[in-house]
Amino acid sequence: MDAERIDEFVMVYLKKKGFDSAAKDLQLALHHNNGSSFNSIDYPNDPELTKLIRSFSQSDDHPTQYRESYSKLRSWAYNSLDLYKHELLRVMYPVFIHCYMDLVGKGHTQEARAFFNSFRKDHEMINLRDLQKLEGVLTPSHLEEMEFARALRQSKVNIKICQYSYDLLLQYLHRTESTLMLGIINEHINFQVYSGQPISGSDDIEAVTIVGSFQEPANHINQKEIQWGLLEDSLDDRLEKGGLLSDSEKGQGESKDGDMDDSKKRSIEVGKQGSSLKKLKKDKAGSATAKVARQETSTVPLAPRVKAELALPVMSTDVEESMLEDLRNRVQLSSVAMPSVSFYTFVNTHNGLNCASISHDGSLVAGGFSDSSIKVWDMAKLGQAGSLQGENDTNDQIGGPNGRRNYTLLLGHSGPVYSATFSPPGDFVLSSSADTTIRLWSTKLNANLVCYKGHNYPVWDVQFSPFGHYFASCSHDRTARIWSMDRVQPLRIMAGHLSDVDCVQWHPNCNYIATGSSDKTVRLWDVQTGECVRIFIGHRSMVLSLAMSPDGRYMASGDEDGTIMMWDLSTARCITPLMGHNSCVWSLSYSGEGSLLASGSADCTVKLWDVTSSTKLTKAEEKNGNSNRLRSLRTFPTKSTPVHALRFSRRNLLFAAGALSKPES
Amino acid sequence: MMVTKESIEVIAQSIGISTLSPDVSAALAPDVEYRVREVMQEAIKCMRHARRTTLMAHDVDSALHFRNLEPTCGFTSSKTVRLKRAPEHRDLYFFDDKDVELKNVLEAPLLNAPPDASITSHWLAIDGIQPSIPQNSPVQAISDVKRSEYKDDGLPARHVLSKELQIYYDKVTEWALTLSGSTVFRQALTSLETDPGLHPLVPFFTCFIAEEIVRNMDNYPILLALMRLARSLLHNPHVHLEPYLHQLMPSIITCLIAKRLGKRLSDSHWDLRNFTAGTVAATCKRFGHVYHNLLPRVTRSLLHTFLDPTKALPQHYGAIQGMVALGLNVVRFVVLPNLEPYLLLLLPEMAHEKQKDGAKRHEAWLVYGVLMVAAGRCLYERLKTSQTLLSPPTRSVWKTDGKLTNPRQSKRKASSDNLTHQPPLKKIAAEGIMQMSSTQMQMGLSAVPQQSPLVGRDVSPRTSATLGTDVDNFLFPLFDYFGESMLMFTPKHELSFFL
Repeated sequence: MDAERIDEFVMVYLKKKGFDSAAKDLQLALHHNNGSSFNSIDYPNDPELTKLIRSFSQSDDHPTQYRESYSKLRSWAYNSLDLYKHELLRVMYPVFIHCYMDLVGKGHTQEARAFFNSFRKDHEMINLRDLQKLEGVLTPSHLEEMEFARALRQSKVNIKICQYSYDLLLQYLHRTESTLMLGIINEHINFQVYSGQPISGSDDIEAVTIVGSFQEPANHINQKEIQWGLLEDSLDDRLEKGGLLSDSEKGQGESKDGDMDDSKKRSIEVGKQGSSLKKLKKDKAGSATAKVARQETSTVPLAPRVKAELALPVMSTDVEESMLEDLRNRVQLSSVAMPSVSFYTFVNTHNGLNCASISHDGSLVAGGFSDSSIKVWDMAKLGQAGSLQGENDTNDQIGGPNGRRNYTLLLGHSGPVYSATFSPPGDFVLSSSADTTIRLWSTKLNANLVCYKGHNYPVWDVQFSPFGHYFASCSHDRTARIWSMDRVQPLRIMAGHLSDVDCVQWHPNCNYIATGSSDKTVRLWDVQTGECVRIFIGHRSMVLSLAMSPDGRYMASGDEDGTIMMWDLSTARCITPLMGHNSCVWSLSYSGEGSLLASGSADCTVKLWDVTSSTKLTKAEEKNGNSNRLRSLRTFPTKSTPVHALRFSRRNLLFAAGALSKPES
Repeated sequence: MMVTKESIEVIAQSIGISTLSPDVSAALAPDVEYRVREVMQEAIKCMRHARRTTLMAHDVDSALHFRNLEPTCGFTSSKTVRLKRAPEHRDLYFFDDKDVELKNVLEAPLLNAPPDASITSHWLAIDGIQPSIPQNSPVQAISDVKRSEYKDDGLPARHVLSKELQIYYDKVTEWALTLSGSTVFRQALTSLETDPGLHPLVPFFTCFIAEEIVRNMDNYPILLALMRLARSLLHNPHVHLEPYLHQLMPSIITCLIAKRLGKRLSDSHWDLRNFTAGTVAATCKRFGHVYHNLLPRVTRSLLHTFLDPTKALPQHYGAIQGMVALGLNVVRFVVLPNLEPYLLLLLPEMAHEKQKDGAKRHEAWLVYGVLMVAAGRCLYERLKTSQTLLSPPTRSVWKTDGKLTNPRQSKRKASSDNLTHQPPLKKIAAEGIMQMSSTQMQMGLSAVPQQSPLVGRDVSPRTSATLGTDVDNFLFPLFDYFGESMLMFTPKHELSFFL
């Protein structure tokens, strides 16, 4: 091959790539030197290089090239050795979407579409939602505009792959000279090669999900320290006054490392202790000793204690007394002692019920409606009214013109109400609405007290802190905000999610909030600094519900597909995905001592999950790949009523609420 | 979804832009598609936050609102939008929007205000066990759980009655024995009929019924209450009674064909027998497909009683009533062939001169009445199905039987009075055989000029002869046995044919 042809190739390549000035310079140089100086490099003697250069000049800009080389790579991957196949197939998805975006970026809309449609079947099963998003990207400007696409373009996907698979892939790419695929793979995939056998397919979730740009920062962020322990001097603490102080001090030191083994040992210990102490409890009838025994059986004392970062409100002694009373009378739940479930069914809502909320003692139920109204039912009074049927109307405590209405109507919002939450004593209700405001209502006065403005878009969720006074909200404007009841401006703004923040939940110690988002991640934020301290990656669709375990160590999150994930806060790792629901998980709740998790879903069921076994058995299950169906303890189907809200009362009675929706004939 | 250049052009034309350059539409098409997808993405978020799984028109409106766009108009349906597939197109759907006459809308009366939202509470689970109450979904989820528990234990299923069920059982049985006429017992029966959670009590109830019937054979109110109890249980769709039928059926049949039910004369054991007959029939109907020999067995035992001349007349009555309730086929194949010999036995009992005991005679007449109704219904059905087979009379089958006619003529009034008081007749009428009542009316009309029975007899032979030709062999002699009373059971159609 003579030098002039090579110069020509280089020329063509530069022009194609848009390096006009470089091409011009080259031309000038060629002109000047008549090719003499360039020949100093010995092109012709390097056939590999020639081929490479030739392929560069030939292949690019041919949209069909993408299709050909992708389908070649695909058939090669499908025909590869079974042992390595799933690892190689994992590479296909990023290659696929980047091929598509390359085509779109170069303006070949038709070809891009054809390419997309012919291969989308391969990836639909796992990445359906992403594909649906990408499907709409049809012009280069869309690539710029759409955050998801931009994130994909800018970031690299991490793929864990074993040495042999990696070698196979490289050999293939080398042998077939598919520089196009090689280019894409180099540009967008970051291989983490490890030696040894490939991992079996079960552990794939993280490996397969493409998380945009935040895998790297996530790993970095997740190194930060968090203190997941309970608050010093909290109610639980007071309950066990004189209890196991030494134990809790001991626990404080090891809060951060989140050593799984250690925690396992401890929970087993607790189990043993619990059973032995139960016997002890039977023997002694004295109330004081029984109280101590009860405290010791619960897992709570083992959680370390931390200091509050916020100035917490002082509770009145009455309220505190009643709460302590409730805690003392709490039923101990476990996988063998199941809770009772009281179900509140909303009827005649005409599809208008957006959210339901149950107060901590289950006596008040609030419903947020799409007609901007909030209705609060006092279940205790409803019960009375039922028994007093026939007597004259005693329910006009509502004060409305219509004496027969058995609820309190709260009007004030000017858009659908998306969330409502009761303060722990049940004296206030907060509601958030599409009108971008949050309103505070008093259940005693039945009136609106404050309107909090700050969000710029609909506020999806609002939650009171476990101690009241503070509350957190999250919105379509991609922020979560911390407020206190006495200020109309937010105290903190948490920004960082890449899409809507859909749900928010407080950590039991009030120092953190967790947010779930449409970007499929859950984040944990430090309330004091407003920093993101954890990113939990693993969900495959929008996160709809969150719950924190009472000991503050674990978090559960439920998504649109019906998957529930249990996370260890300190390691930010998913302990176990809980599969079982087949539709949106609207609500999650931990039982008082944290041994059970209840989930309510759009598939009209309430499920109970055994948390202790889910956390304990992780290693054993990893070994034998056991299915996680065992951890689902009970399924309670409702009569065509999607479950909107769940709440374990302080005495461990489970309340659930939902709107009866007649199946359409 | 794919927005094509062509659709952009069509839309442009529809809003009055006739000259749209191809470049523009080509550039617009992908962008429109992208924007639509974007709006849908937001709309889906709204749907999720409204805790719904179906997208509604106002979700799209809110999504447009987020983007500061005008909402759509004319799609604010409260129900989900039903899209129809266009014929001959695989993936073309349209909104089935019917034309509405404005006048009709304006003139329509105002609709009732929709009921206001309210809330009800129930137990979804008690200590982890889902109670079977009407508010909970009645599927076998519970029994599945039980079955799996059973497997896990490897032990025979323990029968644990909850406290609530025990109280329920105690109360219901107490009321059945003491307060059988009260409203509270009636409510209990309704509950027995509808409550899905009573399955655990079924063995107890069947046992209770069996025991109490034996003990209270002479106590009519209790027997009736027990039968009502059994009937309510049988009607409950959530109760699986099959394994207990063998225990329950003998008790029920006892109440049908027992020699004595109740001790006082005023006790209307006829009513009880009628009621029980219905229950037996309902049982056979419901469980006949599960137990194929249920119907034959019941029929056999009834037939046995019917054909045993040593049994008392009330027993015969119950057996016949039971077979009538079991269906016309049973009557046709089992009762009618035995009608002639039976009547030979029965008729002397009805006759004044033979039977001096008035009560016995009364019983005989009741049996006669129920036989007549059975035969008549058979005839009616038969005639209804074979209307085309009418042919001219070939022979007269009417025989004037002095022995028979005399008592009949004399007792006619009494017996028909009796009959009209009998529930079977009411039942027939209630079953919607309206023709029959109209037939009777027509009969009455036609009988107006024929006040004297003699004239009436002139009419009847001809009629019966006409009908007699086409029906079963057993139907021929019916007129022999029952005379013109049978005419009541001929369908209106035929009657009008003759009139």
